[in-house]
Order: sequence, then C-alpha cells, then structure tokens
Amino acid sequence: MDDPLIVVVLLLVAAAATAAVAVRDPVRQALVLAVLGVCLALLFTVTQAPDVGLSQLAVGSAVTPLLIMLSVRKVRRRQQDGKEKER
Amino acid sequence: MTRRLRMIVLALGGAGLAALFVAACFGMPGFGGDRHPYGDRAVHASLARRTANTISSVNFDQRAFDTLGEMSILFTSVLGTVVLLRQTRDEKRGRPQPQEVALPVRRYALVVLPVALVSGLYVIAHGQLSPGGGFQGGVVAATALHLLYLGADYRALERIRPIGVFEVGDALSASAYLVTGLAGVLAGTAFLANTLLPYGTFNTLSSGGTVPLLNAAIGMEVACAIVILLARFLDQAVEIEEDNGKR
Amino acid sequence: MNGWTWTATIALGVGVGAAVWGVVTGPLRRRVVAQNLSSALAAPGLLLLAQGYGRPAYVDLALLLALLGPVGTLVFARLLADDLAGDPPRAWAVTLAVAGYGAVVVLVLCAVTGPGRAMVKLLVVGALLIGGNLVASRALSGGFPGSRRG
Repeated sequence: MDDPLIVVVLLLVAAAATAAVAVRDPVRQALVLAVLGVCLALLFTVTQAPDVGLSQLAVGSAVTPLLIMLSVRKVRRRQQDGKEKER
Repeated sequence: MTRRLRMIVLALGGAGLAALFVAACFGMPGFGGDRHPYGDRAVHASLARRTANTISSVNFDQRAFDTLGEMSILFTSVLGTVVLLRQTRDEKRGRPQPQEVALPVRRYALVVLPVALVSGLYVIAHGQLSPGGGFQGGVVAATALHLLYLGADYRALERIRPIGVFEVGDALSASAYLVTGLAGVLAGTAFLANTLLPYGTFNTLSSGGTVPLLNAAIGMEVACAIVILLARFLDQAVEIEEDNGKR
Repeated sequence: MNGWTWTATIALGVGVGAAVWGVVTGPLRRRVVAQNLSSALAAPGLLLLAQGYGRPAYVDLALLLALLGPVGTLVFARLLADDLAGDPPRAWAVTLAVAGYGAVVVLVLCAVTGPGRAMVKLLVVGALLIGGNLVASRALSGGFPGSRRG
C-alpha cells in the first residue's frame, strides 16, 4: 500500500480546496483553482485512476482558467464602460 | 417562521444528514482493499472483448448508454451557452485590436500548437489501450487551437476557426454515436451492443470492436463543443460591447 | 512503496506544497509564479510515480501536464497583462531551479529506461516541460506589452 503518498496528496488537495473557497477575488480564485486541479490530478493518479486524472488535467489546466478569466474581462470592461458613461 | 425556528429546523436536518453519513461510512468497504466485486467483473468483460483499457471498455461498451447521456449533457449545455451568449439587439460588435506578443511567446505558441493537436489525437486514438480517450483528447485538441489566441490575437484564431464548420461537426459526431448504436439494433442485437465488429488483436489500435469508433465520435464531439463554447466566451469578452450610442 | 514512490512523496509534498502556499498568499505577482511552477513541480512527480508503479502508460499524464500547464499560465499572463504590467514578477532564480529539478528527474529516468521509444517520450516531456515553464515565466514578466484589448 502507498499510504503515506496518498495521505500527502490528500492533505495538498484539502489545503488547496479550502483556499479556493477562502480566497474571495475571482482572479486569485482562478489561480488557486488551477493549482487545485493539479493536486486533484495527483490524487487521482495515486489512487490508480489515471483516466480521471487525465480528464482533470485536460479541463482544469487551461480551459477552466480561460473561461473564468474571459468572464472577468467581460465584467471589467462593462464596469469601465459604465464609468466612462457617467463622466 | 421566525429566524430561530428556521435555525432549529436547519440544525435538525444537518444533524440527521451527519448521522446518516457516519452510519454509511462504517458500512463502507475498507480503503484500498483488494476485494472489488464489480471491478473483477468489469476487467473480465473487458478482456473478453480484447479491450486493454478497462475504463474505456466500461465507458464505450459495458456502459455505452451512460456515455450517450453524458454526451447529450455536454451538447445541450453548449447549446444553452450559445443561446445565452448570443449578440443581442442592443449590442454591437467591435473589431478586436491586434496584440503585441513577445517573440519567444509567439514562437512557443506556434511550435506547441501542432504538438498539442497531435497529442490530443494520440490520446483519442489510444483510448482503448492506455489511459485517456475521446473526452480527454478532444479537450486537448480544442485547447491547442486556442494557442493561436494566446500567441497571436483573436483575429488569427478566427481565421482558422470557421465556427459554422465546428457546429456542424458537433452535431454530426453526436449523431455518429447514435447511428453506431442503432447499427447494433439493425444487426439484430441491442442498442449500442458491441457485437458489430470483430474484436481484433488485444493491445493493438484495432481492438475492442466498436469501442474505437464510439471513442472517436466522442473525441470529435468534445473538441467541437469546447471550441464553440470558448468561441462564445471569446466573442463576449473581446468583440461584443454594449451599444452606448442609442440609450 | 519503493524508492521511486518515496522520492515522489517527498518531492510532491515539498514542491507542490510550496506551490499551494505561494498561490494562496502574497501579492498577485507571486501567485502567478506559483501557479506556473505548480505544473513544473508536479510533472516530474508524475514521471517518478509512473516509474514507481511500473506503468509506462502513466507518462501520458506528465505529457499532458507539460503541454497544458504552461498554456494555462499563458492564459493568466495574457488576460492579467494590465495587472502585472505595473508590478511584474521577477523570480528567475526559483524558475531556473525548478527547471533544473525537472531536467535532473528526466535524465535519471532516461538513464534507467535505456534507449528506445520510452526514452524519446521522456525527452519530449522534459523538453516541453522546461521550455514551456521558461516561456511562461517570460510571458508573465512582460510577454504581452501594450495590452489594451483583443
């Protein structure tokens, strides 16, 4: 059994996941989420589920951050436009 | 209902749920044991059909109908995004401005784009042999295209990404999955039954009967779906802006 | 557990643990560097695990991480260019140290594997990992100058 390895990776996932909830700014949340994705992929690998790990890596490392950051950009642009209109 | 009563009801419900969870935990098999009744049967069935990767055998053979459901979830959610993020009447479309990119970053994007595309296809093609499959490979291939946005600008991406073609591809690959399933019915067995093709040689690309076919259909569906999804988000973030002139 | 998985345990615990710590605390310029290094620290661990479990197919995970991890960092570099322009990250010492760690792991595994297709795959993973990591660092510190929108 690879118990110490699983314990270490579980702790990493727990820490990153808690932080992803505790951080409030969406941009910083996206950064934590990207690292959490890597930790989850490690967890799936050490529990011998490489297929799920691959899915997590494929989705979590580039597509999810891109979706979140594009949404942030859209919201920020709308706020900027609103400010310009007020002036 | 007062606030206090609500909290009491919530606490009761939470305590009940916690008690059930604890009870369920004591009834579970031990962590990481070597007794897996379902696992043993799944491995046996997958080896009988000469599919080296048991997970692919479960996804595209033993539980192919579930995968059909998952595929339609992705299909409908992308459809919902397309409807929600469309250009409305009070919005206008600006031209995206070109972006300066440092030379090493641009070169990296242009070199890695084909590598990532080939890796995506490799992951799809080896779905029945090694970890991976249509979903993972499709996402990688779709991500690869967007290196053009990261390494150059949105106009460069738009040039190689005719969105209509990808929408047709999405629908076609979703129907390819259904048609492969119906072919099983026509051949006289059951919907999505893996009896159409010879099972091939174990641990080669042509093994597993219909598994590689369904795998390829899913790969194409996922790749097209992700491209369409990101296209809608990119349109909103980069091009579409509120029409300030009229209101 | 064998020597490979023990090494992976320590390397992942220290390396990815530091990356989690870095991404959770501090200013934005430190967080993006930690996000970039998380993939460069985890991928060698995945390679060690593939060797430790005796399953060459697990190398695919490291390959995908080496490909997509830097792409994720490019996403942040591109869309946070305005925020990072005033306070660009400067962490070349750490970045080069992590790149060296990846190179050592890949070379050791190559020496154990011996010549063949598996070794070529390992070298490809290593090249993508180190190249991607360095380019992503470059992108973070002013890779998208004069950014407005687009």
